[in-house]
Amino acid sequence: MKNKLFRISFQRRKIIAGYLFCLPFLIGFALFFFYSFMQTLIFSFNELQLTPIGYELTFVGWSNYSYALNVHPSFPMDLAAEIGNLAVNVPLILAFSFFTAIILNQKFFGRLLARVIFFLPVILGAGIIFRLEQTDMITQLSLGAAKPGLVFSGTALQNLLLSTRLPEQFLQFIIDAVERIPLIVRASGIQILIFLAGLQSIPSSVYEAADVEGATAWESFWLITFPMLSPLILTAVVYTIIDSFTSADNELVSMIRSTAFTSQGFGVSTAMAVLYFIVIAAVLGLVLQVVSKWVYYQE
Amino acid sequence: MKLSIREKKVTRSAGGDTIVFILLVIGGTFMALPMVYTISQAFKPMNELFIWPPRFFVRNPTMANFYDLFLLMEDSWVPITRYLFNTLVITAFGTCGHVLMASLAAYALAKHKFPGRGVYFNIIVFSLMFAWHVTAIPNYLIMSHIGWVDTYLAIVAPAWAMPLGLYLMKQFMEQIPNPLLEAARIDGAGEFKIFWSIVMPNVKPAWLTLIILSFQSMWGETGARFIYTEELKPLPYALNQIVSGGIARAGTGAAVTVLMMLIPIIIFIINQSKVVQTMGSAGIDK
Repeated sequence: MKNKLFRISFQRRKIIAGYLFCLPFLIGFALFFFYSFMQTLIFSFNELQLTPIGYELTFVGWSNYSYALNVHPSFPMDLAAEIGNLAVNVPLILAFSFFTAIILNQKFFGRLLARVIFFLPVILGAGIIFRLEQTDMITQLSLGAAKPGLVFSGTALQNLLLSTRLPEQFLQFIIDAVERIPLIVRASGIQILIFLAGLQSIPSSVYEAADVEGATAWESFWLITFPMLSPLILTAVVYTIIDSFTSADNELVSMIRSTAFTSQGFGVSTAMAVLYFIVIAAVLGLVLQVVSKWVYYQE
Repeated sequence: MKLSIREKKVTRSAGGDTIVFILLVIGGTFMALPMVYTISQAFKPMNELFIWPPRFFVRNPTMANFYDLFLLMEDSWVPITRYLFNTLVITAFGTCGHVLMASLAAYALAKHKFPGRGVYFNIIVFSLMFAWHVTAIPNYLIMSHIGWVDTYLAIVAPAWAMPLGLYLMKQFMEQIPNPLLEAARIDGAGEFKIFWSIVMPNVKPAWLTLIILSFQSMWGETGARFIYTEELKPLPYALNQIVSGGIARAGTGAAVTVLMMLIPIIIFIINQSKVVQTMGSAGIDK
């Protein structure tokens, strides 16, 4: 009896601790994310008019949504194109960052330098530096000439490939893939870091045990490294999808943002935002469902 | 010692190593070229900056661009050190707060079972998908309602509640075996003690990564949406102003870019060398 009582209080203590640990985050989250989202949802069913003292809302029902889907010249097509693009890029980014992380986790001369180089795109592509590069016209112009991607996507490679007389669709696919290389390499910085952190979290004793049991490198990769990293593959998938859907240079996001300040108004813009959100949620939900099945969690 | 055994296991044959090395060099070139170009641009004298066709490398390197930049900084209305101070405050508080709060919440979500946990986590995953650009206007309304517009808090506080860090930390903390925590509990450690001296050291690679992530976004914060007092504006805002002087500032702009890049790179190097040092001792050896 006494034992049981103790157990209940212990459980309850754990529950309370759980809530307490979550509390600071929850407050900030409710304030800055959840409330904003609800507000956006409300705006999308209304027409917003600015008045001298603030703003006024007039309820218009689904008309903002039907405008975005039926009247807007490019929104539905852009949305579809975005998803198609994602379907090609995400597997490529993941594969690239996964294997790069495994290489960068090995000991070799100049490893830190290599890691810095592979993290550079994140620094170069983020916030202020990205904007600085954009404001600098000359840099832009000459970067166009010096863009590393052009070395490969230039006519030299295409001519070489065309001279092989392979089927045209196949060649088109290869040329497409090659043109994506710079893009994929540039979008992989954070994923590489996530995988690196994951590799470093695998206790070395597991490998030692496998070694003692006589496992080969190939076996310990597929039976230790891969399952232990699988939760992070999920994380990286989520990050990649979010990153490409919500980054500042995403065309759809900037279109939604600029729509707010055109004649179509804030209501249409928020309706688009909500539709966009639903699409991302659907894509992510689907991916999570599929990938979660392969994830291994250590007990 | 443990480390060396593990490294040996993963390493491939000499032929494989060569292929890997070649791949690394190719991939690395893609990434390093834009930076090499920016750096060489910063050291170009005026006549080389505008030469056509543009040259990739600088021929007669000069410090003139940096000199110009410091002259411009001296002329600014608010001293440049004030901008720097603002950025440092925002970056330090934003990053530390985010890492701490995200880790606390992630620990509870990963290792405690309490009612509402599933719903809470799902809400966070959903909120990951919402671009902040889109909620910018409601966000501003909230800030003005609590009276945080024109304070550091308007930038720092939302950064604390960014859902991505929580998600990342949770994934890592789930990897910690439960028996380890149970053992600590039996030995009489309180929840916070477990969090601080068992969970956090074991996920060190995770929060070092999170620091880089968070630093990266805070460092580039211009604060243009929330901060209107000149004395409170962060450094990127001031540097943006200097660069937007037009084509005559092309060289200064490149100098600014190099300076702004340098700090995240240094942080990254320090950070990553820490990871290497702790690898051996962080094992969950049970």
